Amino acid sequence: MSAVDKKIVRGWVKRRSAMSRKSAMPVVAWGLISVALGIWQAWLVASLLAGFLMERQASEGRAIVILALVMIGRAVCQYLQECAAAQSSIAGRRLLRRDMLEAIIRVGPPLLRRQHSGAVGTLIVDRIEWLDGFFSRWIPASMIAMAGPCLVIAGLAFLNPRAAVILAICGFMVPVAQAVFGIGAALATRRQVLAMTRLQARFLDRFRGIATIVLSNATEREASALADATDTLRRRTMRVLRIAFLSSAAIDIAMVVAIVTIAVMQGRALYGASTPLSTARVLVALLLVPEFFAPLRGLALAYQDRAHASGAGEAMEDLVSDADVATAAEIPALNGLSVDVRDVSYAWSAARGPVFDHLSFDVASGDVLVLDGRSGAGKSTLIELLMGFVRPQEGRILFNGIDIAAVSSRDIAERLTWIGQRPVIFAGSLRENIVFSRPSATEAELAAAVRAAAIDTFVTDFPDGLDTVVGEGGFGLSGGQAQRIAIARAFLKDAPLLLLDEPTAHLDPATERAIIAALRELVKGRTVVLCSHSEAIRDLGTKRLILPTGEELRESVS
Amino acid sequence: MSATRDERQTHTRLPHHSVATALGEILSVWRPWSTRLLCGGLLSILALFSGLALMGAAGLRVSAFATGVGLAIGYVVLRLAGVGRIILRYAERLFAHDAMFRALAGLRVWFFRKLAHGAAAGIGFRRSGDLLSRLVRDVDTLDNLYLRIALPFLGAVAAMPVLLIVGWHASPQLGVTLLVIFLMVAVLLPVIAARIARPAGAEISEAEADLRVAALDFASGMREARAFGAEPRLVDRILARQDVLYRTQWHHARRQAAAGASAFLWGQIAVLVIVCAMAGRVFGGVPALNGVVVLFVTVTAFEGAMGLTRAGVLAAKVGHAAQRVTAVADEAPLATDGTQEAPRDGDVVLENVSFAWSGKSRAVLDGLSMTIRRGERVALLGPSGIGKSTLAALLLKVVEPDEGRITFGGADLRTLTSDSLRARIGWLSQSTHLFDDTIRANLLLATPDAPESALWKALDEAEIGDFVRNLPDGLDSWVGEGGAKVSGGQARRIALARVLLTNAPLLVLDEPATGLDAETERAFLATLNETSRGRTVLLIAHRLLGVEQFDQVWRLNGGKVEAAPV
Repeated sequence: MSAVDKKIVRGWVKRRSAMSRKSAMPVVAWGLISVALGIWQAWLVASLLAGFLMERQASEGRAIVILALVMIGRAVCQYLQECAAAQSSIAGRRLLRRDMLEAIIRVGPPLLRRQHSGAVGTLIVDRIEWLDGFFSRWIPASMIAMAGPCLVIAGLAFLNPRAAVILAICGFMVPVAQAVFGIGAALATRRQVLAMTRLQARFLDRFRGIATIVLSNATEREASALADATDTLRRRTMRVLRIAFLSSAAIDIAMVVAIVTIAVMQGRALYGASTPLSTARVLVALLLVPEFFAPLRGLALAYQDRAHASGAGEAMEDLVSDADVATAAEIPALNGLSVDVRDVSYAWSAARGPVFDHLSFDVASGDVLVLDGRSGAGKSTLIELLMGFVRPQEGRILFNGIDIAAVSSRDIAERLTWIGQRPVIFAGSLRENIVFSRPSATEAELAAAVRAAAIDTFVTDFPDGLDTVVGEGGFGLSGGQAQRIAIARAFLKDAPLLLLDEPTAHLDPATERAIIAALRELVKGRTVVLCSHSEAIRDLGTKRLILPTGEELRESVS
Repeated sequence: MSATRDERQTHTRLPHHSVATALGEILSVWRPWSTRLLCGGLLSILALFSGLALMGAAGLRVSAFATGVGLAIGYVVLRLAGVGRIILRYAERLFAHDAMFRALAGLRVWFFRKLAHGAAAGIGFRRSGDLLSRLVRDVDTLDNLYLRIALPFLGAVAAMPVLLIVGWHASPQLGVTLLVIFLMVAVLLPVIAARIARPAGAEISEAEADLRVAALDFASGMREARAFGAEPRLVDRILARQDVLYRTQWHHARRQAAAGASAFLWGQIAVLVIVCAMAGRVFGGVPALNGVVVLFVTVTAFEGAMGLTRAGVLAAKVGHAAQRVTAVADEAPLATDGTQEAPRDGDVVLENVSFAWSGKSRAVLDGLSMTIRRGERVALLGPSGIGKSTLAALLLKVVEPDEGRITFGGADLRTLTSDSLRARIGWLSQSTHLFDDTIRANLLLATPDAPESALWKALDEAEIGDFVRNLPDGLDSWVGEGGAKVSGGQARRIALARVLLTNAPLLVLDEPATGLDAETERAFLATLNETSRGRTVLLIAHRLLGVEQFDQVWRLNGGKVEAAPV
């Protein structure tokens, strides 16, 4: 990670903290009140004890009553402080998740080429939930860490100046030690978060393919590979914790030194020359030592929470850096839509070489273009380019004469419908899955789409018809049935450009014939780009394009 | 595999053990790490004792000087206790956390094994997001069981006699009173807190799992979402589930705060009792010097026990997490495992096999009989959803026939071990999964010891060798999630190469040519005639191209097969 990146991340964390400081104010206020009451309480207890030791029993009844009231006050403060912290954390995470989702949408589907969907899921859920501690502990702790001890020192300066100096010196050593250990902590936490994310993506991938693993007799091998991965996670976590523990050990040392110094030095001074007041002064110093170090301890415990925030910040910046920069151009809404591809070059990565090199062709409104070429020739890539999911590195793609590079991908998507090779079926009912493409569809429109996609031929076998619930990934549906759901979605969305990527790949000839009949209706009056290995569906075409060269552009036989 | 919902839907919410059974099971999984965990506990007790000694000695020393009694307690004791506390605390934390993470890693692997045990048919209606939630968050939550519940409780138990003895020394009644208050904070309040919090713990876990399912739906369906303008809707769904989660979290946080505050208050009451005793208002008075020591020891002891009330709130969450984690272990495989090794090779005979995915749905296979002789090439044709894949599931012992029997080399499949049977069958299904890993790792899944030359041979047979050779990283190229970095047809052929790589005598190929262009498909089927020589092949397809050479062609219809002309 370069220095520039670090600066960006630090800036992000700072901005985020600044926004959350405000909502953390009540937390800090209650915390400081509690510290102030703690000082008062320590003084009350110390004077009472001194009185008992000196065997002088003046007005201790009243003091005990006040002490009881102060104690109740502290308990109330503690309750309110904790509630405020929870509220501030929820507000912070809510805001952050909204930002994160926006950033993900800005990048859009190409994100899936780089990141496993499991990792994206982690980004939305866990990366943000991990920040609970950042908002509820770190931010308030970082604000109290200075003010709390200062308050104790100020109070003690009146009661026992010498002890105040001892405490101040010991307290000063803590940040110094923490700075020494802390530099490593952020780095180690980043590695730990990375290991966690990798582990999650790995597990998700293995869950999805668990049948393949079991039926390949590979369960034990996969289990031991997972054991290695979890062990890596443990070692990285321990590296983070070791630093965090060292930093709280530094506090322990400072605290013990303070206690021993006060007990030994000031205790000896009392010998033979003690008065109730001087004894109380020494005792209050002792009682206040834990009070003094508590905010610092809270900060040390919250240190990894801050490191989590850096991790989330990095992930955010990573997303934002390659979000597309859409301007406000609009595609003119003419009757129909024409596509013009000019000199387009595209490579997924430099290592794999270009998929297209200066590819040019055009599709007039109402034309049906069939993409030809061996598998791997770039048919799917071309379709992703047309959908605006990825942008050409060179050349332009025009819809109705407007370069789509200047149009937001959301607006591009509005003008087209797409049926892919492997449609994603969401967990839910068949009905929800179909109206996904247009939730406002009426029952009649839904029924028409269901008929057109030949879903009515199998849905009657399901006890609940369209309300049958399917599992994630379309479990409970055959490949052909899932594909027909996708086709019904396309029917419902009435867009001028239709992109078909192997729409009948999993269908038997009889079903395919039914689908093609339906597609024949669907393509009427629309511009279509399709790729398919099925001869029957290619007969729909009016033009053919050979990929990846794009050189041959000839009229189809039909 | 359609119309399977009745029975399967019960899997959405897994059966629950009682919390006690679930925790017992978790502890038995942790047994191999018990020594480490116990050492962590021991260190934590020693650290606590040194803390008690330090505060008690400091209080005594100051008071002794103040009352003019003199050097009642040595400087050495004070220093020893101080140094001991620092070192022991650091060691305890490090050791206990390390032991815990080792045990958690073991638990994750155990979870995976158990899941695999009952998952030959895939994860079904259980959502992968929900499973991930169990594996990651719920297992993480279980670290509280040891670090925030068991260790502090152990510390409280150790502190109890110290408190009693020190208190008793000052005044027997004071000792007993302090012990009662301590028990209140260390035992009674945590139990009450756990009781109140139990429903909330379950709610939070469920709400978080729901949020994760919505997030993963959004993440994996991003293409669909963009193409159909559904992003705002999917985002709204995430936000709605977030609201539910945060509402439950807020309730939980308030309860936790109340529990923490009341524990604090009881600790303060203990201090008040001591002060009153010293003032001579209760228990007939306590000598001041003893009183100070009792006070300092009490404050330190309660500091450790205070967290237990919070732990009680946490216990509900931990118990629920334990239930969710152990629930996967209940998932019984749909077919029972046999005891015999499968024969090396032989005929496959189906006799009157009937099968329905659940009692209520209609039978997919109905009195089906067919024989596939050793070395034969057989095609099974039929439209999608007719039960061809079900037949493959029966052969692989993912499920068992309701009626009739299947034999391999004369042995009933029921008597054979699943592992040995699956080692005999090379299987390519429509849902065969490519892992987000290198091409090499994907190929080696079933045959980890295959030499490089065998890999290339299999790739060439699957008509994908040249493509892989031309990749900059060759066999070490990553295929991406579900094969996303290669085209659909390429992914299919890599999966096929994986099957061809096994030396299985029987190949079950379910639509092997899906996603191939016509030319490649022809070339592939023609090669298959060569490469599968000497193996039995069952090819499942919609239709035939005519280039394949088959010994028998069967058509599946109405749950039975009929011979079709070759």
